[in-house]
Amino acid sequence: MRKFFVLVKKEVQELLTPQMLLPLLIIVVAFVFIGKVAGSEAAKTAEPQPVGILDLDHTNTSALVAQTLSKNNLKLTEFSEISPEEALQQAKNQDLKILFVIPAGFERGFSGKPLSLSIYTILKNFSFIGSRSTQSATVALAQINSALSRELIAEKAPQADPAVLQSPLRTEETVVIGSREAKISVSAVMGFISTQSTFIPIVLFLVITFASQLIALSMATEKENKTLETLLSAPVSRQAMVAAKLVGAGLVALLTAVVYLFGMRYYITGLTAGAGSGTTAASDAFNQLGLVFSAADYALLGLVLFFAILVALSISLILGAFAEDAKSVQGVTAPLMFLVLIPYFLTLFLDINSLSLGLKAFVYAIPFSHAFLAAPNILLKDYSAVFWGLGYMAVLVVIFIYIASRIFSSDKIMTLKLNFRRKR
Amino acid sequence: MNAVEVNDLKKFFGKAPAVAGVDFYIAEREIFALIGPNGAGKSTTLRMLATILQPSEGRATIFGYDVQKESGQVRRLISYLPEEAGAYKTLTGRQYLSFMAELYADSLSQAKEYVAFASDITGLGPRLSDKIRTYSKGMTRKLLLARAVMTRPKLAILDEPTSGLDVINALEIRSIIRKLSREGMSVLLSSHNMLEIEFLSDRVGIIHQGRIYETGTAEALKAKYGARNLEEVFHKIVENS
Ligand SMILES: Nc1ncnc2c1ncn2[C@@H]1O[C@H](COP(=O)(O)OP(=O)(O)OP(=O)(O)O)[C@@H](O)[C@H]1O
Ligand SMILES: [Mg+2]
Repeated sequence: MRKFFVLVKKEVQELLTPQMLLPLLIIVVAFVFIGKVAGSEAAKTAEPQPVGILDLDHTNTSALVAQTLSKNNLKLTEFSEISPEEALQQAKNQDLKILFVIPAGFERGFSGKPLSLSIYTILKNFSFIGSRSTQSATVALAQINSALSRELIAEKAPQADPAVLQSPLRTEETVVIGSREAKISVSAVMGFISTQSTFIPIVLFLVITFASQLIALSMATEKENKTLETLLSAPVSRQAMVAAKLVGAGLVALLTAVVYLFGMRYYITGLTAGAGSGTTAASDAFNQLGLVFSAADYALLGLVLFFAILVALSISLILGAFAEDAKSVQGVTAPLMFLVLIPYFLTLFLDINSLSLGLKAFVYAIPFSHAFLAAPNILLKDYSAVFWGLGYMAVLVVIFIYIASRIFSSDKIMTLKLNFRRKR
Repeated sequence: MNAVEVNDLKKFFGKAPAVAGVDFYIAEREIFALIGPNGAGKSTTLRMLATILQPSEGRATIFGYDVQKESGQVRRLISYLPEEAGAYKTLTGRQYLSFMAELYADSLSQAKEYVAFASDITGLGPRLSDKIRTYSKGMTRKLLLARAVMTRPKLAILDEPTSGLDVINALEIRSIIRKLSREGMSVLLSSHNMLEIEFLSDRVGIIHQGRIYETGTAEALKAKYGARNLEEVFHKIVENS
């Protein structure tokens, strides 16, 4: 057992080189930086947006428009006595986002025909955060519309309730998941799930690919630096060597996962800051629907991740036996990357359960699918699917570790590459 | 009991035999050298005895333990220095020695003892605290050699031990091997350096095309072939085959 730890220590020492740590550090710093910048930009968009208005009508109705706009978190600049072209030029110069032009004769049309209002949106970029600045204007327009409509109703049908005429339909949305239900709109649920679950697959993908690269790399450098032969002649069981490689690479992969998570948290909170997180009513509804991970759920998720990493590591250890130097690591681990990419994209875009039987079998045969499906399955309380996936991965781990230690125990570990070459 | 007994040992890579049936023995405390042209099968034989490669046919025992069936016991008795060996470049010389020592030692104090002994042999002094990637070829070779003998194995299997070393260092290494052998270590080595072999070995085996053509003391072989030195013996055997 002591010798096993000696081997693990060496594996970790070999993998934690400055060449490996530096890119990791750079990525994390970049994440934190982007997160910080995005956060401050998002905060900026939460401030009142500067818009302009040119009223050429000068009536009560046109005043109503300006009034509604200013109530909607918009900083209003009023232009007067100039042409729309001049107003637009000034709006550009003053860095306004939107210019509303109310033409002369606006109110006169107010008797049945639609009124016309010109809106100039001055677009300076296409970013996600940039587009948010126009949202408050959209909300304001809807309010203008309904304010005008109320006026019109009051005038044409004084005895009716304008609110009913405006929207005669009252909806009450209920979302049902399994045996649970809650009064909340489905778009709110989907939004919540997608912010929650974009995170898990990315981390899963990064950790699985990184772990397999690491272990294949450790095999390859062992061959490239010609240390393998010496190691194999040492009085240590080959099973201990296999286990030490798995544990060493697993530990380093886990460490990087934690570092990534830390960086990503900054990044994500930066992006979502100011987007308005859920109200307490909404979070009550999510709780009712069971859409929140309990401690046991997190433990289960961790177990799934652990087995997915083990599968990746044991496959890569076998693949790594084919690598003869660090350069060939990318090549030999490429098939594994496909096995991770396929379920990553499929689970991102499709409902696996609605696929045809053949495709479904194909997806379920890929061990990593079960890792990507675990989080949604846990949220949907489909625990049996999670446990089947776990069992399947556990069986594969046993098989692959067995094959890996067979390769290590025979002289295949020394000769694999040669045979491989001849076959080509 | 003999340190090594080899009976009709063969190794095939695909159809081609790298070792086509060799027989020899090494007595306890003896230094036995395999000499032969490039590709003769020296390293392959040594690897089989070091439990790195599995024999295709035949049998070899080390202090009575079968190299194939009892490789665990064999590994506890031997120490193997591969022909083209390297060390973990990210470790310092001392870290490498302690790593290897801890794999062999039964206790931490024994490991420390191994490291102290090896550090002495390397003659690297303060450079032992430097990363191995900064070492020259000869420095690395000396480190590896020290690593191989630090555990005072019952049998040392050394594939071209002094290759890449300068004259002074090679001389020093030879005398260390000699000394350890007198203290009870048996040695199987291969070499292309005839001077080294005449100085070091008690007996010599001449291997060619995967077969052993002659074994005996250097003196006996020279007498048999009417040669002035081992080089001539070697030449005559290879020419006549
Ligand atoms: N892993 C391998 N796969 C295929 N053939 C091999 C392998 N290792 C050695 N051989 C072949 O076996 C034969 C003997 O090689 P070996 O390395 O034992 O020679 P050697 O006597 O040590 O030569 P040298 O003096 O050059 O070190 C050679 O023909 C070599 O090509
Ligand atoms: Mg050789």
